[in-house]
Amino acid sequence: MIGAQRLPVPRTRFTELSLLFWVAALAITGFVAVVAAETSSFGPAAIAVPVVFLVLMLALHLFLVARRFHGDQVLMPIAAGLTAIGLVLVQRLASDLVLQQLSWAIIAAGAFAATILIPKDLTALARFKWTWALLGLLLLVAPLMPVIGREINGARIWIKVGPASIEPWEAVKLLLVVFFAAYLEEYREVLSRSPRRIGPLPIPPVPYLVPIVAMWAIAMVVMILEKDVGATALFFGIFLAMLFLATGEAFYALIGLALLLLGGFAAYQLFGHVHVRVDTWLRPFAEDLRFDAGYQMVQGLYALANGGLLGAGLGNGMPERIPVVWSDFVFAAFAEETGLAGALALLALYLLFLYRGMQIAVRAPTTFLQLLAAGLAFIVALQTLVIVGGNARLIPLTGITLPFVAYGGSSLVTNWMLVGLLLRVSEVSNRMRGGP
Amino acid sequence: MEITFGVLLWAVRIGFLVLLYLFLIRAFAALQAALSSEEAVAARPSGIAHLVVQRSVRGAPRVGERLPLRAVNAIGRDAGNDVVLNDEAASAKHALLEFAEGEWWIEDSGSTNGTLVNGEVVRSRERVQYGDEVAIGRVALRLEQ
Repeated sequence: MIGAQRLPVPRTRFTELSLLFWVAALAITGFVAVVAAETSSFGPAAIAVPVVFLVLMLALHLFLVARRFHGDQVLMPIAAGLTAIGLVLVQRLASDLVLQQLSWAIIAAGAFAATILIPKDLTALARFKWTWALLGLLLLVAPLMPVIGREINGARIWIKVGPASIEPWEAVKLLLVVFFAAYLEEYREVLSRSPRRIGPLPIPPVPYLVPIVAMWAIAMVVMILEKDVGATALFFGIFLAMLFLATGEAFYALIGLALLLLGGFAAYQLFGHVHVRVDTWLRPFAEDLRFDAGYQMVQGLYALANGGLLGAGLGNGMPERIPVVWSDFVFAAFAEETGLAGALALLALYLLFLYRGMQIAVRAPTTFLQLLAAGLAFIVALQTLVIVGGNARLIPLTGITLPFVAYGGSSLVTNWMLVGLLLRVSEVSNRMRGGP
Repeated sequence: MEITFGVLLWAVRIGFLVLLYLFLIRAFAALQAALSSEEAVAARPSGIAHLVVQRSVRGAPRVGERLPLRAVNAIGRDAGNDVVLNDEAASAKHALLEFAEGEWWIEDSGSTNGTLVNGEVVRSRERVQYGDEVAIGRVALRLEQ
């Protein structure tokens, strides 16, 4: 019987606490190195920011212990470690923004705690799926509205709320994953077990295909009107991945990918901002580009090359030569100062995050929770892939943030909510089956 | 060698990299430990329901044995299945029995000899109720809570 064999709930979350100890050591060492390099002396002021951050993380840990929370103990410390690296990099690259980023971290911690508390029943999220879809669409088009919409660096993806500019796209990600998970749970049977086939290709019933085509259309509209290539790739990538996970039909994913490439090619021909991105990707060193549109890319590549195996040392590189380094090129900056060794460790942390997220998905008791967890973990993985690939000139550069690390409030808050949701899913499985 | 500011700063920088790797290793170890204890719990014969053996052959589970079920169970001759039936008439991957939307569902995984529920051949994904008899190869199993 479900729930009857429950294990006694552990009173402490020792694994989490011991991992947070390593986060503490990492954060303080990083800040000491960066501030010492900047001021040429060791001073106690260097540890003010990391200490505030660590108290915050400890508070979150105690909150989970007090709630007798029975979920995963590894994801929160990994997210804390990545956020700590992010704060070190903001201190290094744009030290006047570090207090702002710390305040966002405090808000993010609050959002994480709220996600642990509400909703009481996680599966209730599935019942309001059309509400989430509508809310997501409204937020998606909000930056296009006059008065509240704002255009920064050529992309119209911000809205102005009080003194802050926020990127509604970040919240849209979470809403979409919840919606997709609920929608696909309901219709995956009809989508995956189509009676009609042409050879190996399934022909799904037309009405159920409408949302798929609608998603593609929305993605394209966003790319054209908001000039945000990265969001489009991410948006459509999440949708295709979840469709594939739910139905097991690789055919859908391939058709979707073909549609995306087709749309991308058309956009390359028609729109200047897409054209520039592709050009700076293919030939950043060209005479007409390297001091102009391709300058950022070229400096990013120099930074990666300068890093070598062990890096220039924190505070010892020249990442400030890259324009907007603190948001677009944090990975290149980190790789310059800690080298291949540091860059690989950073990527390995994301890999652990994905690995744990997928384990939680596999163990989840219902299709909705499985798709939810897999989709959430996939967002972090895809974002990392797209921005690191962009930094390394593997794919065209986009304005996607490196999760937890890059400077930016909206991104930090939603990523911590994402961690909260993953923990909630793992708690449902643990409560049902017993376990750590 | 004299310990200067520069030497100390380099020590801190190297320390950062070392700590980064230590954190990574600890996180990986914690993850593996969590995974193995989760697997131990999953393998524990608690189960949310059982298959009770009604008819059997030599080598397969004996008549009357209660096989615990999880939410998703692969049934077949391979050792990798959740329910292993060592019977030549059963295919390596024979059938899939899963709990979804509050009910049990069975599906044949393309077996040679087919899967029967109460004597009827399973054609697509079919519902199984408590008390139903599932026949796989020469083994018959009854679904019980």
